[in-house]
Amino acid sequence: MARMKFYCDAERCIECNACVTACKNENEVPMGVNRRRVVTIRDGEPGERSLSVACMHCSDAPCQAVCPVDCFITTPDGVVLHNKDTCIGCGYCFYACPFGAPQFPLDGQFSTRGKMDKCTFCNGGPETADNSPDEIRKYGRNRLAEGKLPLCAEMCSTKALLAGDAGVIADIYRKRVVNRGANAYLASGSLQKGAFEALQTPPQPE
Amino acid sequence: MKLTRISEQPACQSVPTGTRTLNRREFLRQSGLVAGGAALATGLGAGMMRKSRAAEAEAPKGGEIRQVKTICTHCSVGCGILAEVQDGVWVGQEPAFDHPFNRGGHCAKGAAVREHGHGERRLKYPTKLVDGKWTRISWDQALNEIGDKLLDIRASAGPDSVYWLGSAKFNNEQAYLFRKMAAMWGTNNVDHQARICHSTTVAGVANTWGYGAMTNSYNDMHNARAILIMGGNPAEAHPVSLQHIMKAKEEGGARLIVIDPRFTRTAAHADQHIALRPGTDVPLVWGMLWHIFRNGWEDKEFIRQRVYAMDEIRAEVARWTPDVVEDVTGVPEAEVLRAARTMAQNRPGTFVWCMGGTQHSIGNNNTRAYCIFQLALGNMGVAGGGTNIFRGHDNVQGATDLGVLADTLPGYYGLAEGSWKHWAKVWDLDFEWIKGRFDSGSYEKSGDQETPVMNTNGIPVSRWIDGVLEEPANIAQKQAIKAMFLWGHAPNSQTRGPEMKQAMEKLEMMVVVDPYPTFSSVLPDRKDGIYLLPAATQFETYGSVTASNRSLQWRDKVIEPMFESRPDHVIMYQLAKKLGFEQEMFKHIKVENEEPLIEDLTREFNRGMWTVGYTGQSPERLKQHQQNWGTFDFTSLKADGGPCDGDFYGLPWPCWGTADMKHPGSPNLYDTSKPVAEGGLPFRARYGVEHNGTNILAEGSSNVGAELTDGYPEFTADMLKQLGWWDDLTAEEKQAAEGKNWKTDVSGGIQRVAIRHGCAPYGNAKARAIVWTFPDPVPIHREPLYTSRHDLVARYPTYEDRKSFWRLPTRHQSIQAKDYSGEFPIILTSGRLVEYEGGGDESRSNPWLAELQPDMFVELNPRDANNAGVEDGNMVWIEGPEGGRIKVKALVTRRVAPGVAFTPFHFAGVFEGQDLRAKYPQGSDPYVLGEACNTVFTYGYDSVTQMQETKCTLCRIAKA
Amino acid sequence: MSTGIFRTALFPAILACRYWLPALMLGLLLPFAAALAAAGDEPRVAPDPTAVSPGVELWDAVRERQPFDAGQVRTQPPGGERGVLINVGGEAWRQFRMQELIPVAARVLGGVAIAILLFRLLRGKIPIRAGRSGEKIRRFSGFQRLVHWTVAVLFVLLALSGLVMLFGRYFIIPWLGSEFGGALTYWLKRIHDFSGPVFGVALLVMIITFMKGNFPALYDLKWVFKAGGMLGGHAPAGRYNAGEKGWYWLAAGVGMVVVVSGLVLDFPNLGGFDRDAMAWYHRLHSIGAVAIMAVSMGHIYMGTVAMEGAFECMATGYCDSNWAREHHDRWYAAITDEKSPSDTATGLVEPAPEPSAATRQQAG
Repeated sequence: MARMKFYCDAERCIECNACVTACKNENEVPMGVNRRRVVTIRDGEPGERSLSVACMHCSDAPCQAVCPVDCFITTPDGVVLHNKDTCIGCGYCFYACPFGAPQFPLDGQFSTRGKMDKCTFCNGGPETADNSPDEIRKYGRNRLAEGKLPLCAEMCSTKALLAGDAGVIADIYRKRVVNRGANAYLASGSLQKGAFEALQTPPQPE
Repeated sequence: MKLTRISEQPACQSVPTGTRTLNRREFLRQSGLVAGGAALATGLGAGMMRKSRAAEAEAPKGGEIRQVKTICTHCSVGCGILAEVQDGVWVGQEPAFDHPFNRGGHCAKGAAVREHGHGERRLKYPTKLVDGKWTRISWDQALNEIGDKLLDIRASAGPDSVYWLGSAKFNNEQAYLFRKMAAMWGTNNVDHQARICHSTTVAGVANTWGYGAMTNSYNDMHNARAILIMGGNPAEAHPVSLQHIMKAKEEGGARLIVIDPRFTRTAAHADQHIALRPGTDVPLVWGMLWHIFRNGWEDKEFIRQRVYAMDEIRAEVARWTPDVVEDVTGVPEAEVLRAARTMAQNRPGTFVWCMGGTQHSIGNNNTRAYCIFQLALGNMGVAGGGTNIFRGHDNVQGATDLGVLADTLPGYYGLAEGSWKHWAKVWDLDFEWIKGRFDSGSYEKSGDQETPVMNTNGIPVSRWIDGVLEEPANIAQKQAIKAMFLWGHAPNSQTRGPEMKQAMEKLEMMVVVDPYPTFSSVLPDRKDGIYLLPAATQFETYGSVTASNRSLQWRDKVIEPMFESRPDHVIMYQLAKKLGFEQEMFKHIKVENEEPLIEDLTREFNRGMWTVGYTGQSPERLKQHQQNWGTFDFTSLKADGGPCDGDFYGLPWPCWGTADMKHPGSPNLYDTSKPVAEGGLPFRARYGVEHNGTNILAEGSSNVGAELTDGYPEFTADMLKQLGWWDDLTAEEKQAAEGKNWKTDVSGGIQRVAIRHGCAPYGNAKARAIVWTFPDPVPIHREPLYTSRHDLVARYPTYEDRKSFWRLPTRHQSIQAKDYSGEFPIILTSGRLVEYEGGGDESRSNPWLAELQPDMFVELNPRDANNAGVEDGNMVWIEGPEGGRIKVKALVTRRVAPGVAFTPFHFAGVFEGQDLRAKYPQGSDPYVLGEACNTVFTYGYDSVTQMQETKCTLCRIAKA
Repeated sequence: MSTGIFRTALFPAILACRYWLPALMLGLLLPFAAALAAAGDEPRVAPDPTAVSPGVELWDAVRERQPFDAGQVRTQPPGGERGVLINVGGEAWRQFRMQELIPVAARVLGGVAIAILLFRLLRGKIPIRAGRSGEKIRRFSGFQRLVHWTVAVLFVLLALSGLVMLFGRYFIIPWLGSEFGGALTYWLKRIHDFSGPVFGVALLVMIITFMKGNFPALYDLKWVFKAGGMLGGHAPAGRYNAGEKGWYWLAAGVGMVVVVSGLVLDFPNLGGFDRDAMAWYHRLHSIGAVAIMAVSMGHIYMGTVAMEGAFECMATGYCDSNWAREHHDRWYAAITDEKSPSDTATGLVEPAPEPSAATRQQAG
């Protein structure tokens, strides 16, 4: 079976936020809830890199481990879904998640945060009927059930964000790394120059 | 996403237009989508206690889902969009993987266009300002009142007192119709965003080698070995173009150089970033050329064959030694040399520029310098080379080509009598009748001749406020502007905000035709005299649109016009009817249910635009291209097999001759390695055959397969006769072509025959490095009007003031005379953000985008911030030398160099610290409001096109 | 146009495969290019396998949230922690909760329960040595009882609901199903969230109300060494014995920690409390709560069925005088012999009834 993963190629991400709005679009995510976001490090300096982050659908998901009502399910494809009906809005998954994927509509209020919402890899929720009105209302659209991939990755402007089977993605990324290394090598005689050169501040002029 | 109707309402109800919206919104609400947030908002959790009855879920109701192909309405990349529509509701967006430009990719805006189908903050119905309150009125009442007032003004002040400000967001047919409408009304006071965007590009580039458009394409950049981006930030302004640039980088090893005062998101992916002092483009380019000439890296053979007057450039370049360059631009020699060497050693290289280069008082010098650079390296007319000018709005290229401009008719024919007669013929109207529509007076002289107003440039949009506020005696028309149409045009993209407020208050009537109220509705303090007419977006109509690479794309209609909006061409028809010239205007255009047939409009401009080859792109061919996106090659854009076999995607103009000729379009301009019949071209012979006794036609260079192997002038009927090709014309063609040339022969026969013999209809000349009709024939440097280096003004002064230029007094030297740099020590520049577009009211009304940029801000270097006692996130006042001031949040970052500050221009709705949200019509205020940076930006206009100087002015910043 | 997973997932791969030939040629040409490069100038090729990629430092800095090395970290959506790319503290918290807290809590609470059970089985109910005297002494005022029972009821509610949150997924969800179990847990959590602040107020009142008499004294040490008299012999005690004093201070101190940390947890992500902060407050809250629950089991046992005559103290407010003499001798002596005004005034001591012959005999 395929093991579904995301990978964001930081060399290509230009922080265009298409992944962010595509997710909003496809799943009608309300204002204040950000299933996906783009984080930029070294903003404004040489070495600036951006990464698109949402739920990474971990193999050993911390959110799944700590949930008091065990509302997470990992599908056979490796997608981590959760059950909004069971969710008690305690926020433990948010504390445990390294990527800040769980989002809460009532964050900051007293006691309850509302039902947790997060990226579903465009795979809806635990309901058995795909793309039923219930599922769409609660979780957004189920694209995987239609044989499609998450819209964020499909609409990435530079194909930085990849989603799909881990093996295929790894292969795509490997080819890019080889290309970049080869270019750097041909240009400067060093495999690591070029791609990582910019990460040293200040950049060295030729 | 697939919405499903879960209510008991029948799928299709016939309801009056006004309440159709209720159905759609109820529909959305009942599927729990729009109210999704509300359902989650209660602590109890709406779905919590209800059992998830998966097994009993209802099968999705509603009709089948249609897929509609259209094109994004934001930037000029022209990304393909697949819209999913069910029961007339836009329910989903799918990536258009087979579209040759974007291959399914989008930026934040393109991925969010479906929100147009929600349209919560749209302008919903015709609205009038009555005694300070927005009052809903009917279309009939609106059109009647507006029409009456226009006719009043026409009678008392003349037709030139009405300004028709059009839009880069028209589709081609609407743009064409708008220009025609201004002509029928009888004025040249018609313009659009290109004026303030790439007008200097068009003027500079067209005057160098013939056409002022992007010469290659985004896709062709795959072939580039080096990419130089100067004054452009495509990572934010044209994000999908980065897909092509990165392909060139990764698969082709291309080098990327970015020249920009800011370390932009594009610079973050570049091999070299050069930060120059804003406004010093020409010195830097000449600085690079200095190294190129010195090392003999220029392409001497190319220059000999295809370039005129490079020696005069050499003389100018010789003065720009590295120390002078460093003094003026701030860029050290090593960096300049490195860039020059990269471009010289990695050919073909392409040169990209955007507003950073164009929006200056010497914009036309900048653009010509860029062209000359590429000519020197021989990078023109080759795959992977060229000057790839990234246009702005989705159809600014089309609107420019279709002539929504104050100085020309569709197709760049200009305003001379011959041009009017050509179009009179195409329109099948009596020339004298058209002439009679204009003010019969004359207010300008050409030499000793009085020039009729019909043949003089109108007032450009960058100066419309002066057309209102200036002393009437100083304006070269009968009276000042009294009524203003802001038709798809936001006012906060033009400078001098406080004066614009005054102008808007002085007008007798202002009509905003737009899907959103825009800043125009709230900026002026008025009690009446403003009409807001809801226009439909391009998703609610159909037609063709021209992308930056000159490809025409066909859009289908996604949804019916929302609320009470109407497509622009419908409004134009209804207005024309009220004003009494619809018979003439729509003489050969079928009108059904008050909607002019789009395809008839396409066919009409196909019949008239021979100059730029907008003649071969018939509706049928364009629709066929739309249906076969996937058959076009990703790099060459050529269809290999399939129904469009041999065509280039979108039939990039010039697509010569009639549609029957099946010219495939010209993907890379000036490429002599291909026959003209397959899209090749030489440089255009536009400036005569000789200058000062020197031949300026091409020498020993011609297209493959051309029977004339040396340079030749543009084709005329007489020339065909001389060449003995006249009899290749058919009898009908001969009749039409007799005494005409390739531009005015409406049969297309001259073009057909010329191409048949392998020749370009427009001649084969050298590109010229000097433009002897411009104020500066050789591009030189002149300091910006508001400069931080006043010590350089003595060596590089700006132009003399002009008493009348585009009908208005235009100041240069009198402004630069005073040194403001002491009181206003920081250089202020402006630019774009990826989340918003243009004036911003449309994108700031989209919640998915608005959430990402909630605050207007100014980027400030830590050094300047510390000097002003400002911390990241503090509010600051920015004040300009002309008195404008804005209160914005400070974003302290090293992205901008010390002494430079950057503001985005997309915000509006706050004026000089005052929030104007309450002044918007109810329910139509954008989610995000902010200060418009152009409240602070200052006077400064290009010496050829009146482009505004929005890339360098001065300011001071203090903590609020 | 098919949009199958096949096409979309492999599309980039297909695209890349189109360039296999150039890529292969590139690969084959590399050594030649290197040779050519080397042939001209001195060799620039010196791949150093030990060179650390600067990226390593950068990503370490990101993970540790050190702004200096990671530069400015920004993101567009506004809101507290959106700009944090990797939250390392979350995994530490997960390890704490799942690998430490839950197993340890289970053992501690289970252990205490079993210990109490065993104690009961072995020792049985502890009677009043001298038997009941029938004479009642006022031990707790009405107000004190009200406060105590308020705190007690709330505490039990909080403890049970807290235990469900801690252990629920191991028995509530499997036994009751995720729908009903989830709903039950949700409501229990709501009760927990609202009861907490109320409990906090009640606890504060209780701390004040019961403070007198709970300050440590030297003779408390003797009570401790005598294990409260469990092993036979006499352990001196004032109004409250050392055990009760210990419980009081534990409940006061740790209890307030639990209350305050609970208040923070009650306002998720308000103000400056980020995930790391919430996780730390959660650690305090849960460790404190488990500690109190463990000791409370002892207190509840002692106060209810452990010994004769204990429960009525807090239930009615009066205790048997023999019970008082046995378990709180110094207090008994103070209130019967000296009748200090403060004691009388507070109503702690009822005016002694006409002594019956039996009691006078015993007191004498």
